[in-house]
Amino acid sequence: MFCRNQTTRATVARGSALEMEIRRGKFRKSDFLHTSSQDSDIQKKIDHEIRMRDGACKLLAACSQRDQALEAAKSLQTCSTRIMAYMSELQRMKEAQVMQNVPRRSSDAGPMDDRLPCKGKVAISDLRIPLMWKDTEYFKNKGELHRCAVFCLLQLGGEIFDTDMVIVDRTLTDICFDNTIVFSEASPGFELRVELYSCCSEDDYSAGSTPRKLASKLSSSLGRSAGKKLRAAMEPGACSPVSNGGAAPLLLPVPSVPGPKYHLLAHATLSLSHVQDSFRTHDLTISGNEECSYWLPLYGSMCCRLAAQPHCMTQQMMGGWLKVKQCGGDPKTWTKVYAVLKATSLFCYQRQEDVDANVEPALTIGINKETRIRASEKDPHSKGQNICISNRYGGEEVTHTLNTESREDTHSWMEAFWQHFYDMSQWKQCCDDLMKIELPSPRKPAPVTPKQGSLYHEMVIESSDDLSSTVSDILARRMQELELRSQLGTSPTWMSVFEENSPKSIGFPVRPCTSRLSGHSPHSPHRLPPRSPASPHRCPQPGLLSSDASLTSDSDSHCSTSPCSHRHGWPEPSSNFSLLSSSPSRLRPRTLSLDAKLSTLRGRGYGGGVAFQCSCQPPSSSLLAPHPVSSRSPLSQRSTQTTLSCSSSTSSSSSSNSEGSHSPESSEGGPFSRPSPARRSLRNLRARLDPRNWLQSQV
Amino acid sequence: MSFVPGQPVTAVVQRVEIQKLCQGENLILGFSIGGGIDQDPGQNPFSEDKSDKGIYVTRITPGGPAESAGLKMGDKIMQVNGWDMTMVTHDQARKKLTKKREDVVRLLITRKSLEEAVKHSKGSHPSHLPAQTNARTTKDRVVL
Repeated sequence: MFCRNQTTRATVARGSALEMEIRRGKFRKSDFLHTSSQDSDIQKKIDHEIRMRDGACKLLAACSQRDQALEAAKSLQTCSTRIMAYMSELQRMKEAQVMQNVPRRSSDAGPMDDRLPCKGKVAISDLRIPLMWKDTEYFKNKGELHRCAVFCLLQLGGEIFDTDMVIVDRTLTDICFDNTIVFSEASPGFELRVELYSCCSEDDYSAGSTPRKLASKLSSSLGRSAGKKLRAAMEPGACSPVSNGGAAPLLLPVPSVPGPKYHLLAHATLSLSHVQDSFRTHDLTISGNEECSYWLPLYGSMCCRLAAQPHCMTQQMMGGWLKVKQCGGDPKTWTKVYAVLKATSLFCYQRQEDVDANVEPALTIGINKETRIRASEKDPHSKGQNICISNRYGGEEVTHTLNTESREDTHSWMEAFWQHFYDMSQWKQCCDDLMKIELPSPRKPAPVTPKQGSLYHEMVIESSDDLSSTVSDILARRMQELELRSQLGTSPTWMSVFEENSPKSIGFPVRPCTSRLSGHSPHSPHRLPPRSPASPHRCPQPGLLSSDASLTSDSDSHCSTSPCSHRHGWPEPSSNFSLLSSSPSRLRPRTLSLDAKLSTLRGRGYGGGVAFQCSCQPPSSSLLAPHPVSSRSPLSQRSTQTTLSCSSSTSSSSSSNSEGSHSPESSEGGPFSRPSPARRSLRNLRARLDPRNWLQSQV
Repeated sequence: MSFVPGQPVTAVVQRVEIQKLCQGENLILGFSIGGGIDQDPGQNPFSEDKSDKGIYVTRITPGGPAESAGLKMGDKIMQVNGWDMTMVTHDQARKKLTKKREDVVRLLITRKSLEEAVKHSKGSHPSHLPAQTNARTTKDRVVL
């Protein structure tokens, strides 16, 4: 059994291969004493982690703030995982020692099985995990924001690192981890395990595994402390990974601390085939389901940049003095150089000091997968064997011949070359070019904003964009613009004109309108009630407007807002009414209802007369005129209110015209006020989003 | 006018040919459409079957080309220049009607009164074939 206290004694598990070998007398137990140094390293690490874990537990028990608790729980999770990893590595090391102590066959060009490829650095950075919220969830503005704290645990070999913790709620589209994690000693057959842990971050540290609804019911019905205890009792035991009793013979029970617990949400395993110098998407295996409180709707993939720098690319593999000559040249033209084998070339410098001095090498011979190296027969002219290096540059083959001082040198160079080739074959695509690994700067990074914005918030809303997440922002901005414009002073003049003409206009065009719309009188009666409280003085003409509105949609709210949007419509029709010949500079209304369009259509007519033109406009406009006569601010205020109410009820009367085609709008002619593209697209969007709409288009 | 999935749609249709009117730089037809497979069919005031997602004429501009051609409010548009309109989205329908390169649209429309007329004619004269009337624009329009 593995005993923690005895650091120097290497224990042997019963029934293991090691024990068998000892029994057979192949080697003595004392052979393993030299492994104790490595053993004690691991042991020290384990002790360290255990201490860290105890500290984290204490912190967790003591802290009161949720953020601290989450961080402490994260460290607890990391420590536990590390402990388990170290213990299993210890076990593996022991097994490996047995294998390595088997005497090796010595051979010059030995089988490749004996070679070990060089290690390398593997770095993973810019981890991004997209989320897939339901659009209803994403856009809803009310309700509690269900937040989860997530972090990633990355494990390669014996090294385990964790990323920073990120709080995720439904306003985020992706979980982004900015950390760059570098693993220093990775072999080409590495397996980098990425695990995503999440924990529901709600006010009470509720149990992670009980369904959310149940937990909230309990907490609300039983009272806080009683509920907590019950919830803790309902948890299915210690759900931490240590207790699975895998490789570690000693079960170190995780102290069950009240507090947030992280659960594994998803994991992925990356290996050499996933290494690339750019971002790639990998699949995630998701564990857990929607019922868990720590659930997040993951899209199912993960993007990251996984880069590897094998040591053969970054370090000098071999260096020594050589004599080089180009094949086909004079046998006497041997150049003595100091050669360094590194990355994909053999750099030949004139002096040894040049290597560090960053001086350009005198000669560079490429050593890559296509290079062929062979040792030639003993050259009578020189001692030692020759090594021929052939490369194909374009169509021709260039051969360099190296000559060393002694046979041993030749042998060691050949060995180095073989090792280099082996490394390149093992590390595959990493040896084509050196991948950059940016080490995180020791400086503290810029303070992270408490709330990560989503992609939608970062995008600039152009007037032609159809983005809905900041619809209310756009509207508010437009209303401000409208306010500013209305303060320019164009409105009051014809407002007063209106007021005078109002008594005249009301009675005037009723006849032509109602006759046309007689077919729809059944619709009008039930429109009256919702309208009357809003506009008591509009009683003379309710029938007209309601019948107009009835064509557009069936819902009551539309009617109540359509007169409001008329407010914006009236600058235009008013000018039509009072100044038929010229169109003065006036306010461009921002929203246009179907009714206004209807009226202008009739107004423009198809060669219709004056009477025709003003058919429906004045009543609507005159009815609105008396309102904001006194001062400008009520107008803008009211229009603000009304427009916002429009936005909340998504009036279809203002959006019923499909603005996609430009022909209907410009068909109305020049001075016809056209809503701005932003307005149009907003309305389009609102129309499309509201399921109650029944879109109509003018063609 | 409702359709049974899997069965061909049969209806008594009328051909309506509308010359687009040039207004400035745009060609207009002078009516409004509603409906589409992406719309809520329950809100269609003209359809018999409230699950009918076809394209309906919701408004006719008086004196416009559509009115002159004989299009009536409440008509269901089955085809526009050969393009099917029974299974299209609202925007697709609008686009087929407002193609800038075409200055005439030939619609196949159907309405309840047509069917009734056919039934009447069938009832009184069993030998009659269902009539397909071709209504063309009666006046020549000056297209600017």
